[in-house]
Amino acid sequence: MAMANSSFVYVTYIRAPQQKVWDALTKPEHQKVYWFGGHQESNWKKGAEWKMFMPQHGLTDSGEILESDPPNRVVIKWRNEFRPNLKEEGYSRCVMELSTEDELTKLTISHTIEKENAQFIQAVSGGWPRILSSLQSYLETGRAHGDTRSPAAQAHK
Amino acid sequence: MSNDFVYVTYIYSTPQKVWDAITKPEFAKRYWFHYNVSDWKKGSRWEHQHGDDSGKIMIDGTVLEADPPRKLMITWTRPDKSKEPSRVTFDIADDDSGLVRLTVTHDQLEHDPAMAASVSGGWPKVLSNLKSLLETGKTENIWLTKNKEG
Repeated sequence: MAMANSSFVYVTYIRAPQQKVWDALTKPEHQKVYWFGGHQESNWKKGAEWKMFMPQHGLTDSGEILESDPPNRVVIKWRNEFRPNLKEEGYSRCVMELSTEDELTKLTISHTIEKENAQFIQAVSGGWPRILSSLQSYLETGRAHGDTRSPAAQAHK
Repeated sequence: MSNDFVYVTYIYSTPQKVWDAITKPEFAKRYWFHYNVSDWKKGSRWEHQHGDDSGKIMIDGTVLEADPPRKLMITWTRPDKSKEPSRVTFDIADDDSGLVRLTVTHDQLEHDPAMAASVSGGWPKVLSNLKSLLETGKTENIWLTKNKEG
């Protein structure tokens, strides 16, 4: 089957209840801690708008919730908005799937775009491992990577 | 199409600890539940021995490159030699913020699709558990966990 698409898949196992992983993925107060200061805005219901913001860029990505089954699965129609070469590649599809395996939550991110050798997929292939490693640290230890809301940082704001 | 498997994870740790976790048998057993046994010199044999202490060799191979604590490249061979060996490379890099970036590349799997499928399921379990161990001291027996609905 020769489909012209690009995809990135990442699986991680996090020692936290599935609901907590879902909340961390969907709630801005958690995202801001482990997503390197970024956050997303959506009500996470099917058909809802979805937007991502990063502190240094403002709106970076936008799209729509295509499917939503909390706390098990969400599908996002996702396009980059601030880098013209990525925006030009159009909408991608990001599937987040969660399941419980004893004390662990299995989280699978599958990010696909219908274009061969897409620069967008190259970009997210670098980003997802950083974000999901930070998420695992945040949920297991309380200490995310590049935590922009560390007590010291907050004291200067 | 290539069936190379690449996995990157960032761990609050040091390169030496990550190196030790991969190459010291008792350390590997704590999160991988198997032992990795070798003197880790270029050209030496290595064995992936079952953690149940039966001495069963799950995988073996040759050390292709060893640059502690930065890089280890090994062949990954079925003990019955029924398929061509594949290859695993561990790259261990410092991040500027106290994080270690560990990249595991499992390639040369073209001759063994069953192994490709197996390791692409296995590496995320092993490497998530390694991160948990180094950051929290806790692990899960990843080969026994069951899906709640399964």
